Amino acid sequence: MDTSKVCQLTPWDTRGYSTALNPRFVKTGRMFRGFFVKTISFVGYTVQYGCIAHCAFEYIGEFVSCSGPSMEPTITNHDVVFSKRVSRHLCRIQKGHIVIAKSPFDPKMNICKRVMGLEGDKVCTSGPSDVFKTHTYVPRGHVWLEGDNLRNSTDSRSYGPIPYALIRGRVCLKMWPPHSFGVLAESPNDGRIL
Amino acid sequence: MKKYTHLAVNGHESGFVKTGRMFRGFFVKTISFVGYTVQYGCIAHCAFEYIGEFVSCSGPSMEPTITNHDVVFSERVSRHLCRIQKGHIVIAKSPFDPKMNICKRVMGLEGDKVCTSGPSDVFKTHTYVPRGHVWLEGDNLRNSTDSRSYGPIPYALIRGRVCLKMWPPHSFGVLAESPNDGRIL
Repeated sequence: MDTSKVCQLTPWDTRGYSTALNPRFVKTGRMFRGFFVKTISFVGYTVQYGCIAHCAFEYIGEFVSCSGPSMEPTITNHDVVFSKRVSRHLCRIQKGHIVIAKSPFDPKMNICKRVMGLEGDKVCTSGPSDVFKTHTYVPRGHVWLEGDNLRNSTDSRSYGPIPYALIRGRVCLKMWPPHSFGVLAESPNDGRIL
Repeated sequence: MKKYTHLAVNGHESGFVKTGRMFRGFFVKTISFVGYTVQYGCIAHCAFEYIGEFVSCSGPSMEPTITNHDVVFSERVSRHLCRIQKGHIVIAKSPFDPKMNICKRVMGLEGDKVCTSGPSDVFKTHTYVPRGHVWLEGDNLRNSTDSRSYGPIPYALIRGRVCLKMWPPHSFGVLAESPNDGRIL
């Protein structure tokens, strides 16, 4: 018998581990644990920064891409605007402001229209070409929205005033296209604001 | 060693340098405190927004299911996944005051036929709930201002679904079914 090999200690023994443990399982277990810890911390950071980003979009402002012809010429198809949320939370939306609101007919869609009447205001419900003008009063807690392109816009003239709570934010800046960057124009239908 | 040369030369640390260092330390601590507050505030806000919140109810319109000063837990997941059904009790933003919330039961979804007349009326009148709207009614029909007076409200006003009553402890648990089941058509 070769006594030198019997007395030889393996590297695992010197670290105090039980020689009954297979060194390969211990290594794999350690790798999995390290991978698991890294995954958990990655998920934690993602959730953390996702929450901060969500709150920034919720309370400060967001970029919105508009589609449709109902706000021409002020906002055309595929324009990108910046909509700030502060006005809505402080209830400072005024007549003449362009707002982004949740659609009353589809909770997943948003609409972009101009506020033509606040609660208690008298608004004109007839078209510009009608002979007999009809009017109505905007109920408490509601707003009257109209698109700038009156001929091609589905707005409060068809579905009535919408609750103020549906408004998401006020459009204050046009970001794209670059040649029309800046503050948005006043309403081309000023005669309709009573 | 370089850091302390000016000490050796003057014999003691200059008063202005010490104050400057104190202010800078205080400033850094304030900034990091504000940073942590904003961070955890955002996470808490998102938890209330996407998971659920505790709501204290007031008013008699949902008796006997929910009485005055009850605390309920309202979950947000159903609303975001559009899984609100007839018979669910929901918390919604008031259509007449954007800062107030209302707590009522859903009696009709879009396209449903709902009864607009009272239980004591001779002639029953009906209406259809428009697309994207819901018809809300309080359980206490005699003492509730709901869709029978202000019409159906947009689905987008719903904040969450009430699923558990937390307080008072003797009525802890899942909420009862509608006592006005005959009105669900």
